Amino acid sequence: MARFDNLMKTPSTTLVHVLIGKSIAETLLVGALAVVTFITVLPPYFHGWGEVTDSGISGWVVNNAAPWERVEVELFVDGEFVATRVANESRPDVAAAGWAKNEWHGYKFILPPLSAGSHEARVYALHDSGAGTRKSLQLVGDPIRFSVDAGGKPHAISR
Amino acid sequence: MVTETESMQPSLPEHTARTLALWEIVSVATSCLIAEWVVLSFVGRSKLIIAIPILLAFGLMAFSHVERGETLNDIGFRLDNFVASCRLLLLPTVVAVLLVVAAGWFMGHAIFAGHIGSRHLSLPLWALLQQYALNGFINRRAQLALGKGMKSVILVAVVFALLHLPNPLLAAVTLIGGMIWAAVYQRQPNLFALALSHALVSITLAMTISPNLFNSLRVGFKYFG
Repeated sequence: MARFDNLMKTPSTTLVHVLIGKSIAETLLVGALAVVTFITVLPPYFHGWGEVTDSGISGWVVNNAAPWERVEVELFVDGEFVATRVANESRPDVAAAGWAKNEWHGYKFILPPLSAGSHEARVYALHDSGAGTRKSLQLVGDPIRFSVDAGGKPHAISR
Repeated sequence: MVTETESMQPSLPEHTARTLALWEIVSVATSCLIAEWVVLSFVGRSKLIIAIPILLAFGLMAFSHVERGETLNDIGFRLDNFVASCRLLLLPTVVAVLLVVAAGWFMGHAIFAGHIGSRHLSLPLWALLQQYALNGFINRRAQLALGKGMKSVILVAVVFALLHLPNPLLAAVTLIGGMIWAAVYQRQPNLFALALSHALVSITLAMTISPNLFNSLRVGFKYFG
């Protein structure tokens, strides 16, 4: 009985070239999908800043790809979700500085009762993609470090 | 007579050809994994993009068959050994169906009570495609690389199970099924008989076992949602 491999022709080097070509095509496909997905899910369009005030955290955020749109923001303190709101408060200084087309991009969060000591707040812009099937959070500005005194009042910690 | 074009394409040494066979297996399995894990997670249900790695895999398989001079008959698209292959598959298929029914009965599921949808009606065709890729291609390349027998049978079954991850129960079932189908194919290469056995077991599973147990037979990224 003939051996199984003797029943087949030995392939030419073209098969190797096809395999290499297929690998390159798949690598390009995966790379392209990764880049497109990254830009879609985490678009580099959000711009903003946040700071500590006497009552909490306030700041502004603009979606440069849709400057008229009001951005939804979420506040996390020490990694714990605190609140969500739409950044639609007046910030004429932001428009005057040229960061936004109009002034309605501000947000204010009142901090919950926190223990005395140092804390860190992070404000994220909420972004929908994939027709609402995906949601991503993008950090707006830098993490905001602050301390809370014995009276419960927040103070910025200078960088 | 060797044509000028053929003479310009050097043939590979035998040991390289065997390594090449393993590379072909890895390449086809990679295409399936890209479709299951990368494309589904990145672009959801866009059939056009999912088709790219699948078409690349089928293109490679078709080209490889031509390069190695394999005919449809060699691959297993034939009827002359259909009955002989069915005879080999009869016992394991009946045992598998009975085990599934017994498992369903033991777990209190309604036996053969599941709804037959359009998805199930296309199962025989889907089973034939899977059996072609698994045995008509991967099994044949595994035999080239490792020879006929247990080693190549296990390789085929492991690849088949790998493609059903991260669904643990489905991966275990396909490992066993893959071994049986691969062993039968090595004795009687007939893809229609294998597809029939595959479809019967799959339909019994779909109609008897609660979809929750096998997570609706989902694999790859789809398993998570």
